[in-house]
Amino acid sequence: MDLKWLTEFNAPAGHEQAMRRALLDELKNYAGVTTSIDRMGNVVAVKTGKGAEPRKRVMLSAHMDEVGLIVTSCTEDGFLRVAPVGGVDPRVIISKRVTVGDDKVPGIIGAMAIHLQSAADRQRVLGYSDIYVDIGAKKREEAEAKAPKGTYICFDTDYVEFGDGYVSAKALDDRVGIFNLLRVLEDDYDCDVICVFASQEETGCRGSKGAAFALDPDMGIVLEGTTCNDLGDVPETLQVCNTGAGVCVSFMDGSSIANRSLFRQTIEVAEKNGLTCQVKRSVSGGNDGGSMQRARGGMPVVVLSVPCRYIHSPSSVVKYSDVESQLALTKALLKSI
Amino acid sequence: MDIQKVLSEAAGKLGPSGQEMEIAAYFAEQFRPFVDEVTIDKMNNVIAHKKGNGPKVMLCAHMDEIGLMVVGIEDDGSIRLGNVGGVDPRILPACRVWVHGKEKLFGTIGALPPHLLTAEDRQKNYNAKDLYVDVGLPGDKVKELVRIGDLVTFNVPLTELLNGQVAAKTMDDRACVGILLVAAERLSKLHCDADVYFVGSTQEEVGSMGAMTAAFAIDPDLAVALDVDHATIPGSRPDTTVEGDSLCATIGPYIQPKLLDRLMNCAKEHHVKLQTAVSSRSTYTDADEVGIARAGVPTVLLSLPLKYMHTTVETIDLQALKEGGRLIAHFLSELDAGWEDDLWI
Repeated sequence: MDLKWLTEFNAPAGHEQAMRRALLDELKNYAGVTTSIDRMGNVVAVKTGKGAEPRKRVMLSAHMDEVGLIVTSCTEDGFLRVAPVGGVDPRVIISKRVTVGDDKVPGIIGAMAIHLQSAADRQRVLGYSDIYVDIGAKKREEAEAKAPKGTYICFDTDYVEFGDGYVSAKALDDRVGIFNLLRVLEDDYDCDVICVFASQEETGCRGSKGAAFALDPDMGIVLEGTTCNDLGDVPETLQVCNTGAGVCVSFMDGSSIANRSLFRQTIEVAEKNGLTCQVKRSVSGGNDGGSMQRARGGMPVVVLSVPCRYIHSPSSVVKYSDVESQLALTKALLKSI
Repeated sequence: MDIQKVLSEAAGKLGPSGQEMEIAAYFAEQFRPFVDEVTIDKMNNVIAHKKGNGPKVMLCAHMDEIGLMVVGIEDDGSIRLGNVGGVDPRILPACRVWVHGKEKLFGTIGALPPHLLTAEDRQKNYNAKDLYVDVGLPGDKVKELVRIGDLVTFNVPLTELLNGQVAAKTMDDRACVGILLVAAERLSKLHCDADVYFVGSTQEEVGSMGAMTAAFAIDPDLAVALDVDHATIPGSRPDTTVEGDSLCATIGPYIQPKLLDRLMNCAKEHHVKLQTAVSSRSTYTDADEVGIARAGVPTVLLSLPLKYMHTTVETIDLQALKEGGRLIAHFLSELDAGWEDDLWI
């Protein structure tokens, strides 16, 4: 089990079967962990704490789904019309490779050649009404046989390590969290650790909502990937966080405000243990922290994110040391509870 | 010869206009088994000569690719880009590239995530000047390894689609060099009087400089240029595109009409499906320059349809490519001493 292996599964939101099966298999290797699937398709792995009762029950979540596309129809001449599953800027998928459906039929996303564009065309952003996937089919029947309406599509990008400890791959949001959730379970804690490998985060944080209600924990920790924007001579005010500066702790984002004492505790634990971390400098993005915070009567939640460049694109980038930093702070925080 | 393998390997070779050394060396080796002599000239053209006593024929398809170059390095290590040939900036966000510095560096072209885009941002296309390459290194290290003017090329493998179609970078026009290779292989098993020069030409994307000088040096009696043409895609206009599954011959003032008749008749006789397209003036291919080399060269233009030209997923039909090779082989094999009779009457 490693990060590369995890990014190779295709699990667009609502169609996480491949990732779910792999996690269920993998979790068999973990001693003292009880695994189940809940009513929203989340994989739930529970490790009972070593501390005396009453123990704190801590829910950790990372989402197994990724952004992608879904086939909405096939044209008469065999091209696939698509809609985004989760937030995919149509401008980042032009001229990219995809795989279509569980059989991974290769496809590409083309665009009108520059030679055939008018000056006005060049200014116009291609949206989902212009974009289609080409699998080489020539007729509607042929396209529908390979990719009927509702077929999910994923980016086809391999995992590459490059530069100064960086990784480029698809779905790093949130396979980095999944990777660390599995590694959290290798250790022992006083509190009860309830790991939720959540479904459907990218389409409205629906998996974690059901899980948080059903599990009714005392508090929540979310392991995420977050947008970064630290490169390209970006003015400091527009940068969200920096790669290489450690795990990113949110005081607030688009979906929740961190519980103040839990936020402070997190920063203090990092300081006490000599761990690097940074505070997210922008209120943007939403994640399972929002749905967990509002489950039942509410609970304190903190979000720990790996800075991720070009998130939600076919080729997202993280620094591996930040992935390790997320694990270290998560474990230290759990040990402090 | 496994033509798909050749195309896949060729797509991975470096060769922006004016820097075709690596791709030229590759294609030289591919031609060698089928001809008498292969040379690479001063303009990096590959010239593969199959000797004969009949008319001297030059066939050319260009090897150069569109690409990018380094125009600036920011203090944070991000690399700014300029164009070498007609790259559409709309294909660039999230593209993977190679930066050819002192070392070959893997890079990704950055783009803002949806979370940070304003409503105004979403209405605008990215400009090349707003984009950058991320090579995952600190600024001082990047400045040590990369210099202004270093080349940046796309990094994307070939994709095999349904119905014998393949998508890859540089199929404009390396797929047509593929046609020449198929023709050379077939011709080695046919009778042929013609004195044949297969040319992998250079600098087409910046004005056919390679074909121009090669045509001067070879001084052919007649020529066939091969390039790609736009295949139909959703939303394309019928007058600017051709069907994707068969070859196309161009009609127009830059094309020698009798030679075109000969090519069309040859296709008919050998049951090669051949469409026609019209260029009312320039063809924007090597045919334009080859046609006026020295005192002039009767020239025709054969095109392979291609979807998504000047992107990283240029898509062609392998069967059409192979048919192109078959047609060219027969055309050359059947060229007789009388080919020039009544050429302009």
